[in-house]
Amino acid sequence: MSKLLTVRDLVVEVPARNIKILDGINFSLEAGQTLGLVGESGCGKSVTCYAVANMLPRGIVRSGGSVTFEPGGPSTRKPAVPKIAMIFQDPTSSLNPVHTIGYYLESALYRHQGLKGSDARMEAMRLLERVGIDRARSRLRAYPHQFSGGMNQRVMIAHALAAKPQLLIADEPTTALDVTMQAQILHLLEELKAETGMSLMIVSHDLGVIARLADRAAVMYCGKIVETASVAELLERPSHPYARALIDCMLSIDPDDLAPPVPIPGSVPLLDSLPEGCHFHPRCLRASGECSARFPAPANIGFAHEVSCYHPVAA
Amino acid sequence: MTAFILVRLVRAIAVLVFTVTLVFIVLRLSGDPAQQMLSDNAGPEALAAFNAKWGLDRSIPEQYLYYVANVLRGDFGVSFADGREVFTVVGERIPKTLIVTVSAFIVSMLIGIPAGILAAMRRESALDKGVMAGAVLGYSVPNFLLGLTFIFVFAVWLRVLPSSGSSTWNHAILPVATFALFNAAALARFMRSTLIDVLGQPYIAAARADGIPRWEIIFRHALPNAAIPMVTTLGFVAGGLLGGSALIEPVFAWPGLGSGFVNATNTGDLPVVQAMIVLFTVFMVAINLIVDVLYAVLNPKIRKH
Ligand SMILES: Nc1ncnc2c1ncn2[C@@H]1O[C@H](COP(=O)(O)OP(=O)(O)O)[C@@H](O)[C@H]1O
Ligand code: SF4
Ligand SMILES: [Mg+2]
Repeated sequence: MSKLLTVRDLVVEVPARNIKILDGINFSLEAGQTLGLVGESGCGKSVTCYAVANMLPRGIVRSGGSVTFEPGGPSTRKPAVPKIAMIFQDPTSSLNPVHTIGYYLESALYRHQGLKGSDARMEAMRLLERVGIDRARSRLRAYPHQFSGGMNQRVMIAHALAAKPQLLIADEPTTALDVTMQAQILHLLEELKAETGMSLMIVSHDLGVIARLADRAAVMYCGKIVETASVAELLERPSHPYARALIDCMLSIDPDDLAPPVPIPGSVPLLDSLPEGCHFHPRCLRASGECSARFPAPANIGFAHEVSCYHPVAA
Repeated sequence: MTAFILVRLVRAIAVLVFTVTLVFIVLRLSGDPAQQMLSDNAGPEALAAFNAKWGLDRSIPEQYLYYVANVLRGDFGVSFADGREVFTVVGERIPKTLIVTVSAFIVSMLIGIPAGILAAMRRESALDKGVMAGAVLGYSVPNFLLGLTFIFVFAVWLRVLPSSGSSTWNHAILPVATFALFNAAALARFMRSTLIDVLGQPYIAAARADGIPRWEIIFRHALPNAAIPMVTTLGFVAGGLLGGSALIEPVFAWPGLGSGFVNATNTGDLPVVQAMIVLFTVFMVAINLIVDVLYAVLNPKIRKH
């Protein structure tokens, strides 16, 4: 498999507040592969997506590291211009309220594929049908506020497909949807990935979503990736105490299991008062002296399985 | 949308009826018109004749209907000052006021809206700070003070423009400039903050992520959204221009509704004052109605409910 994206030592800061949102992120993504980013809210998953898509909001800057895309084919020598599309947590507010669905899709088809007029309209209808929206012709005249959140997420996916992306970034694509809709959208993403061969970066605070779609997963905590492994390996042998706790939480949310989920004690620290050393140490049952002195360097503990912890949980 | 506009229309009519009624009540409370109109030594027959002529000898409900019927026909009585029809007295002044307010409205949009857009696009830049400093200055100096300053600079000191009257187009320049600068400042500030707010919305971030060029994001994606609250502000500005004419026109001795209203109030010319209040209400209600319709046209959430 060929590499599509490499992120090296990525640092993202808020200069005005002198805080680091991301502090040395490393990962790579192969063509056609799916990477899952998981972690509690506020750990920097969305900011990682924005940095990769080069759309960091005002006031947030990339101050170190690199995000590189491999050229499309072996003969391409010019700098790679990746085709990245992104879908968001709240689809309805990510759609312009004054434009129709038709305008939204057709203008994207013109921008990315040069389609105009009735060609663009036919393709927009085909895309809507592909993402599971029926009566496509009349839907093209509708506005986002006339659709449910799930329908709007489908529209966003159709819009993403119009770009024929090499990489689709899905930032909590199902978090705002009800359970049945979540399952449908995840299923749709699975199908489209297989159909188009695009890479997918999927973000969720819900390991279940990651487990379903991703090949590899990265667990984030306070702006750092603390563990990466294949999804199967991570679910079976989580080594970082935080990853372990996340997985225990998830597995215990089981309808047949009457015991309540075991919460991770304490709460995520604020970025402007991060604990020294391993940021997890105030909440970690395995913490020792060195944990609060220096951040543990990532170490290989299995095939493509890296963890940043002085005392990883044994398998 | 039709239902939305119908509701607004009914509301507009209700406001007008309310105003006309209020004016009638003020008329009843403001003393005996016969005594005010006729000389002090008029005899009882003259008073009775006057009351009969104006229907003042009938019951209050009858008088109210009579009054409303007259108003609907444009008959607001005669001016106490010179005995002319109020309709004529007020009608003469309407075009004068419209010339100044409509020109000032257009000029303030032509200055304020682009300035606000540029300031929002180049946020925190020297341009933005310059525009905002100008806007704060323009907005915090009272209208009439700005007018007096203009008179002093251009009419008294430089002697390039006339300071008062309305006989030539040049006479309109200073009142229009005074009005336009003040309102351009307000529009620039509001345009800037509205556009900055829209530019921070998720759909704009999504449009950027999609690689849409900057100018297209501003004109196709941001401004159509910013226009919706902007319409309401433009309505306020238009209403403020009409109301402000009572402050500005006297400064320039501009013979419009504003000066007329001030004169009529000073001399106690009640019929003229009342007709002007009704007229002012008609203008305000019309502006509101236009704002409501535009708002619905621009906002699909209302248009397609
Ligand atoms: N525009 C911003 N300005 C300042 N800080 C921000 C901004 N956006 C996000 N952050 C901070 O960056 C951190 C990570 O945010 P985010 O990536 O949205 O988290 P997640 O997606 O994992 O929930 C949070 O602590 C958040 O407060
Ligand atoms: S490094 Fe120490 S504190 Fe951090 S997770 Fe590992 S054991 Fe816990
Ligand atoms: Mg997020």
